[in-house]
This record gives sequence, structure tokens and C-alpha cells, in this order.
Amino acid sequence: MVLPAAGDCLLRNAWVCGKYLSTRRHIILADLKQHVILTLVAVAIGFLVSVPLTLLVRRFRRAEGAVIGLTSVLYGVPSVALFAVLVPFTGLTSTTVEIGLVTYTLVIFVRNNLAGLDAVPADVRDAAQGMGMGPLRMLVKVDLPLALPTILAGFRVATVSTVALVTVGALVGTGGLGQELNDAFSSYFKAEALTASVLCVLLAITADLLIVGVGWWLTPWRRGRPQ
Amino acid sequence: MQRRLLTALPAISLAAVLAACGGSSSGGGTTPTPGSSSGGGASGSLTVGAAGFTESNLLAQMYADLLEKAGFTVNIKTVSSQEIFQSSLEKGTIAVVPEYAATYANSLETEVTGNQSPTAASPDLQTTLTNLEKYATQKGLTHLDPANAVDQNAFAVTTAYATQHHLTTLSDLGASGLSVKLAAPAECATRPFCKPGLQTTYKIKISSILPLAFDSLPAKQAVKSGKVQMALVATTDATLSSLGLVLLTDDKHLQNADNLIPIVNKADLAKHPEIATAINPLASVLTTADLGTLDNQVDGQRQTVADVATAYLTSKGLL
Repeated sequence: MVLPAAGDCLLRNAWVCGKYLSTRRHIILADLKQHVILTLVAVAIGFLVSVPLTLLVRRFRRAEGAVIGLTSVLYGVPSVALFAVLVPFTGLTSTTVEIGLVTYTLVIFVRNNLAGLDAVPADVRDAAQGMGMGPLRMLVKVDLPLALPTILAGFRVATVSTVALVTVGALVGTGGLGQELNDAFSSYFKAEALTASVLCVLLAITADLLIVGVGWWLTPWRRGRPQ
Repeated sequence: MQRRLLTALPAISLAAVLAACGGSSSGGGTTPTPGSSSGGGASGSLTVGAAGFTESNLLAQMYADLLEKAGFTVNIKTVSSQEIFQSSLEKGTIAVVPEYAATYANSLETEVTGNQSPTAASPDLQTTLTNLEKYATQKGLTHLDPANAVDQNAFAVTTAYATQHHLTTLSDLGASGLSVKLAAPAECATRPFCKPGLQTTYKIKISSILPLAFDSLPAKQAVKSGKVQMALVATTDATLSSLGLVLLTDDKHLQNADNLIPIVNKADLAKHPEIATAINPLASVLTTADLGTLDNQVDGQRQTVADVATAYLTSKGLL
């Protein structure tokens, strides 16, 4: 290995290059910010949409196959095809990307929400019923706290997968750090590719740890157990 | 243009999906897109499209600089290929994009007529523009002045080889009777601008094709090392002379007139005729050599697109 003592790391197309960071700082920060916002909005809306779907399945168990099947099929739609269908309606906007991202979180949220709720022990629910709890109080006071760890596990998977999926939005001009990856790929720019990849991974890890932290805070009775 | 031909393949199937969906959804054209910045409007804000590769990004940045100088508020939307902003361009949410006259004329012909082997492109610029305008009008689009700069396929040999055999044009190579190995993507064997064209138009003897990517460093090094005699490259490749390579002139005009050209939405242009007066001065200034140098400043020297575009326009007195 020749030590890169002299010379310009941009000209050498080095993987690690401080000058890349200093000359593109504003672009990178703007795209990082866009990446975070796209992820937050997608995960939040995705969860909100998954709640009625979950309750629908809990109420009408026969709908389970249809709901899980539909969300799985949607998850299987390639993002390129989805964008192709959406762009004529929603244009080259973040709406187009968010619709795709939200769609992909549904299968994760619905499955985890259901698994969490279904795992609430029947004797606990019997006892709650015996104490005179109605369906809504039962849901909020009994089902939700006990299902929370599994629901949060869904959040972790959905968030990490969304951080990765956001990059696909670069196809339609709104992809956070995916814009860097696209550009690096087309012009073989190593520092750009590595920087954007590392930032994506760090973002995913940070988000994951934050959710673990929220779970620890929300479920004090589970502290000390593995999350 | 190899990279555009190749990226066009998935996009063609994508366009087919779009076409299929367009038929069943007549409301699509009238759906407002509140999130996107509107092309035109009283605000005087415009969106310029860029197709995500260096040359397109550079031209889009220059158009944006020139439009800003003319008083518009401009933002640039960079997507991954031309086909993706086509519907936004037709709606006017994107006002102007940089394109290649011949390649774009063909893709418009395919879009309008469904003809998968379009004939709109021609080696002659005027013919190409006439055909381009014919199809563009049907999509609510038009073009501004084409630049002198042309990004075409070209064929490079070593300077030593050219001197030894007295070659300056592809006709010279055909007349020399030399048999050459060619470094080019595999599809060169069947594309009219490549092996078949070289054989029929120029009578060049091609013994074999070494399958290497279009205008790639391995292809150029294969020529330099003598493994092959000729490589398929781009006219805007600014690294050729430093590698000891030289282009053989396409004297019988096998290649189409892929001049850089701004494509604009007609309604946006009618609302803001200043778009044309702002961008057109670039056309007579920008040469193929300039474009090669600028591409190299971004891809080779890793300067930012914004810096390179602005510095160029300033040096030419356009800003």
C-alpha cells in the first residue's frame, strides 16, 4: 500500500476523502435531512394505516387472509413499477415516494400488530373481562401494553427497512441519500458511494437504537430482559 | 449513445406500463400536483429536469443558471433517466430539460406512434429537428436552439496507428484495407451505427469485437496496449489525447445528429418567452470540445456540477 500522503483524494477517487465531505457538505446534509423526513413520515403514516387494518382483522377474523395477502402482494410490487404507475398522477414529488414507502411498511406493521395482540394470554383477558372492562378499555389497558414489545419489534423492522428503501426514491428525484448513491454509481465516485452508504447504515442503527430506547421506557416491567 | 440506449431498455417497459395506465385513467392529466413546484405561473418559478448522468446534470445546471439570471426562481429535479420526467415535462411541471436531438426525436416517435424502430433521427441535424418538432408538437413540447456540441458515438485509434497508416477519417481506414479488432459492447455487432454501418458505409474490415463497455477505460486501454486497434467511444471524451488516442472522423455521417438541445413545454414557453432568450445564447457557444472538458472536470477532477457549470458560463460572459 502506498500511503496517500500527497495529492488530492478527489482526483485519486479514494474511498475515504475528507475533501469530498468539505466540498459537498451542504448537499449531503440536505439529502440526509430529506432521508430522515421521508423515513419518519412513511413509518408514522404506515403505522396509522396499519391500526384500522389490524382492528379489522381482530373483529372479522375471516378478513385475515385477505388483509395479510393484500399487504404481502403490495410488498412484492417492485418500486420502479409502483413509481411508474404513480408518477402520472402524483408527479415527481415526495408524495409519490411516500405512497410507495408507506405501502411497503404495511405488511410489517399489520403482521406484528396482530402477532402481538394474538399473544395476549386468554386468562389475562378473562380476568379483565371479569373486572368489567369493555372492549375499548380492554384494548388500551390490557392488549396494547402486553402487545407493545411485538408492535415495537415491527417498528424496528419497518424503520430500518424504510431507511434502506428511501434510496430507491432517487429514481424519481426524491431519494435522500439515494441521490448520492445514484450519482456515485453513474460516475464511479467511490467517496460519494461509501459516504452515502455509511450514513444510511448509521441512520438505520440510530433509528433502531432509539426505538429500543422508547420500548425500554414504555415497558418498565420488562426491563432487564433482552429487548 | 450507448449508455442511453442501455438505460432506455427498462424505461421502455416502464413506458409501456405508463401507456397502459394512461388509457384507463383520463383524470390523470387534470389531477393537480400540489407538492411539485409548478412550471410557470405568476410566481415566475420554473423546474429544470436533469437525467442523472453528468452531461445532463451539467446542462440542466447551466439552463438553471441562465434562467436565474433572467429573473426566474429555478429548482432542478434530478431523476434517473429521461423517460421518468417525460410525463412531467408534457404537463409542464417541468419546464425545460436538456436532451440529445436525434435520440430524443426517436424516443418521441416511439412514444407518439408506438413504432419500436423509429426513423426520426438522422445524421442531418435539420432533418432530425424537423422530425423532432413534428412529434414534439403532438406532446405539447418544442425545442430551443440546438447547441454546436454533439455527444455522438465515435471510433478511436492510437495516434501512432493513425500516423503509420495515414488515417484521419473512417473512410481512410476503409480504403486502407486494414483489418481491425474493435473494443465495443456486444450489441455493436447488430447496431446500424456500429459494426454493420462500419462494414457497409465505410467498407472497414472488422475481424472481431472485444466486448467492453462503451467509452470505458478498459476499452481505451485495450487500444493503447494494442490488444485491439479501435474502440467505440464518445465524441465528448476529453481523456483521449492523454491516453494517446485520436478519433477518426465520421466523414460519411454514419452517426445521428445528437446535438445537445433544450426541450421545453410549449405552454410554459408561451407564458414565459424569456425562457428562450435566456437559454438560446448558450447554443452557439457550447462546443463538443467544451462539453468534453466540462464532463471531465466533473467525472475526472470531481468538481461539483454547480461549480463547473457556473464557471463555464462566467468564462463565456453568459452570466
